[in-house]
Amino acid sequence: MRQYPIDYGLVLSAVLFAIGMAGVFVRRNVIFVLLCIEIMLNAAGLAFVLGGARWGQADGQVMFIFILAMAAAEVSVGLALIMRMFHRFKSLDTNEIARMKG
Amino acid sequence: MSSEQILALLPILVTSAASVVVMLLVALKRSHGLVFGVTVGSLLVALAAIGSSVSVMPQAVSSLLIMDRFALLYIGLILAATLAVALLSYAYLESRAERREEYYILLLLAAAGSEVLAAAGSYVSFFLGLEILSISLYGLVAYRRQTPLGIEAGVKYLILAGASSGFILFGMALIYAEQGSLQFAALAAAKGSSFDVVSLVGFALIVVGVGFKLAVVPFHLWTPDVYQGAPAPVTAFVATVSKGAMFALLLRYFIQLDLYQYGAVVLVFGIIAALSILAGNILGLLQNNVKRMLAYSSIAHVGYLLVALLASGPLAVSSVTFYLIAYFITNLGAFGVVGYLSSGEREAEEIDDYRGLAWRRPWVAGALTASLLSLAGIPLTAGFIGKFFIIAAGAGSRLWALLIILVVGSVVSFFYYFRLVLAIFREPDAGAQVPYPSASLAGGIALSVLTLLLVWLGVYPAPLVNLLGGMTSGLL
Repeated sequence: MRQYPIDYGLVLSAVLFAIGMAGVFVRRNVIFVLLCIEIMLNAAGLAFVLGGARWGQADGQVMFIFILAMAAAEVSVGLALIMRMFHRFKSLDTNEIARMKG
Repeated sequence: MSSEQILALLPILVTSAASVVVMLLVALKRSHGLVFGVTVGSLLVALAAIGSSVSVMPQAVSSLLIMDRFALLYIGLILAATLAVALLSYAYLESRAERREEYYILLLLAAAGSEVLAAAGSYVSFFLGLEILSISLYGLVAYRRQTPLGIEAGVKYLILAGASSGFILFGMALIYAEQGSLQFAALAAAKGSSFDVVSLVGFALIVVGVGFKLAVVPFHLWTPDVYQGAPAPVTAFVATVSKGAMFALLLRYFIQLDLYQYGAVVLVFGIIAALSILAGNILGLLQNNVKRMLAYSSIAHVGYLLVALLASGPLAVSSVTFYLIAYFITNLGAFGVVGYLSSGEREAEEIDDYRGLAWRRPWVAGALTASLLSLAGIPLTAGFIGKFFIIAAGAGSRLWALLIILVVGSVVSFFYYFRLVLAIFREPDAGAQVPYPSASLAGGIALSVLTLLLVWLGVYPAPLVNLLGGMTSGLL
């Protein structure tokens, strides 16, 4: 198998991270915002695994498992909150629920 | 793990175990009084456990946590503040018909996460502590889930905290991929060779994420909304414990990696501090809602803290810590009064709700006035001594530009603090509808102790200053 330089992987994870970040700032639908946050987290996970492979340590993969667990916890709380939001406002648009200004 | 290490970790272990115990207790029997009692009791036990940890410090527990004097002091501060929040929450929750018991599980978990942050010595524990804190806070911020503002605040906090975790994690990953270690100490040893581009980008991303968490300008946009929509005791927790734990981590990170030697880092943090002080105080002037006003004031206060952080040297750690203690007491007092005066139907958050408070409830009015004077930095309050130390530390390292901005910002802030003080002492409006307060004995005790501490630190700060003076050499 051919070995690719680590930089290729880092560029890929940076692109993924940028896609996620752009989505968080641009999207108005709260489910898509949550999905984009997941993309950001997984970009970080990919970079951690690459780092672990580069240095021959388990730390990177351990961090990835932590990230998976944390993302699952965040999504479960987040989806519960989004359910409440939909019940209350009949909308998933972050602009439409905004009552507070200033 | 040796017994000494377990002893050193005891405060964190007690807090974590307490949240599990409370969870099991709720499953067996729902009783607000019982759960409240167990929470307060376990927080007291955790505080007492610090005494036993002091005897074995400094102790590095695995490579993740460093239990030194600094960590234990901040853990004590976090536990005391959580205790105050729990006491202030009892009556607030009692007056609401929703389920109350889960609140205490989340509060204890959030406290445990903050303690891990205060003792973190590596990116792994930084991340774990941060997430335990954030995910519990999602639930706490959205605790008024029947009200539109509660849901809005919860969703906004979820997106904000999720995105900032993403930034911090990606930054950590880049640094790890370049440097090959997640330890602060190992990074400090490696930094002799100058940083490469990837590590710099990683560091910048971590700064952005931490900026979101500390709610400094320009990362503050949704902070006032979160403060307004969250229940008042939770707002007090977010403003004090969650920011304080993050600041403890930042302080340790700064000192261990000796970031003061990089001009660019100091410049970036200086700009953030200046923007936070100016924007926080100027936007605070425009608010009619007391919770939003206090939110902007807390943005400005983090700016003051950053000035103290940038003033390196032996005075920096003790001046930051003293200011943070004064800030904790003051904000717990101010948000505590807001929660104390809130009724089941609505929060006491409009300035008109405070009109004539001195005539209706003189003691509560006294506590709120003392907190506001301390926020403004008037002599004989803890806030004044704190600000004095920041200016002394700043003058010692010649940060003249920042000090001038700090003074200008403080003068601007007088206007909105005194607007509320004036409202308190104005003649009450006969026909006004004021919320019927959910006062309680526990909340009253917490408020009196906070006010006494506020004045005591302002009049006689010497014991605390001496205690903090020994801390400068305490960092492992």
